[in-house]
Amino acid sequence: MAAAEGIADGTFERAFAFIGAGGHHAGRDYFGGYCCYNDVVIAIAHLRATRGIQRFAILDTDAHHGDGTRDLTEQDPAVLHVCICGASYASPDGTKVDVPLPAALWRGTGDPDAVYLETAEAAFAERAAAFRPDLTVWYFGFDGHRGDYGDMGLSAKCFLGLADLMTRVADQASGGRLLTVLGGGSRTDLATALIPPIIERLGRRPAEA
Amino acid sequence: MKRMGIFYHTSFSRRSYLTVGRRLADFPGALTPLLRDPAFRLVECPEAPDEWILRVHDPSLIPAVEADPL
Repeated sequence: MAAAEGIADGTFERAFAFIGAGGHHAGRDYFGGYCCYNDVVIAIAHLRATRGIQRFAILDTDAHHGDGTRDLTEQDPAVLHVCICGASYASPDGTKVDVPLPAALWRGTGDPDAVYLETAEAAFAERAAAFRPDLTVWYFGFDGHRGDYGDMGLSAKCFLGLADLMTRVADQASGGRLLTVLGGGSRTDLATALIPPIIERLGRRPAEA
Repeated sequence: MKRMGIFYHTSFSRRSYLTVGRRLADFPGALTPLLRDPAFRLVECPEAPDEWILRVHDPSLIPAVEADPL
């Protein structure tokens, strides 16, 4: 919430929010999947109530479907929610989208990092640009990294590429305003190796990266 | 204007609900090199009041979460 406020008030252009528990599996009256309260949707409600900010575009690249976030935003046309997961779905108004991972990831053919990045870009970049959110949100889990519990064969290259994608989309769609919220991922070594360079990449202009 | 705010609380580096163990055990120390750059600023997360949670969640969720053994 404080990170979202910091962006809304202009103190920061971008923010990275660490967490103590996950958020995207928490719905109105249920929780689980290591998630307690839906941090992203609470931030949206808070910014609407206190700052008058209305439109939000979320890309969820945690390894698992953001079911709580989807349930809470299903009837909200001012939230674009794109989730890269196992499902294939688009709501009639196009604001709720599930994109399945390409079979190449599971077959082990091709470069998993490149396949995932291409999928994320195709799923989110044009949709977010057309949606024109006030704030772009990246729900970033590293559980899809090789050796973590959602292993999709991904490496740091993929997550750094996603950071570049999100800064580019935020620059084009929401005036640079980008909130990144940490999601899943369990390994200390991966957290330590991945998170600082991702924050660095998020905080720099593309020309500086 | 600071470009990048990094929002963190030391409680996140203790045992995390999200994981088995302490996935953020190396933080905030792991951010030290980054924080030498004035474009990055570390901010301590304040506690979110229940009223913010209740904008989204049913009141029954808060006691249910607090009673969860994890």
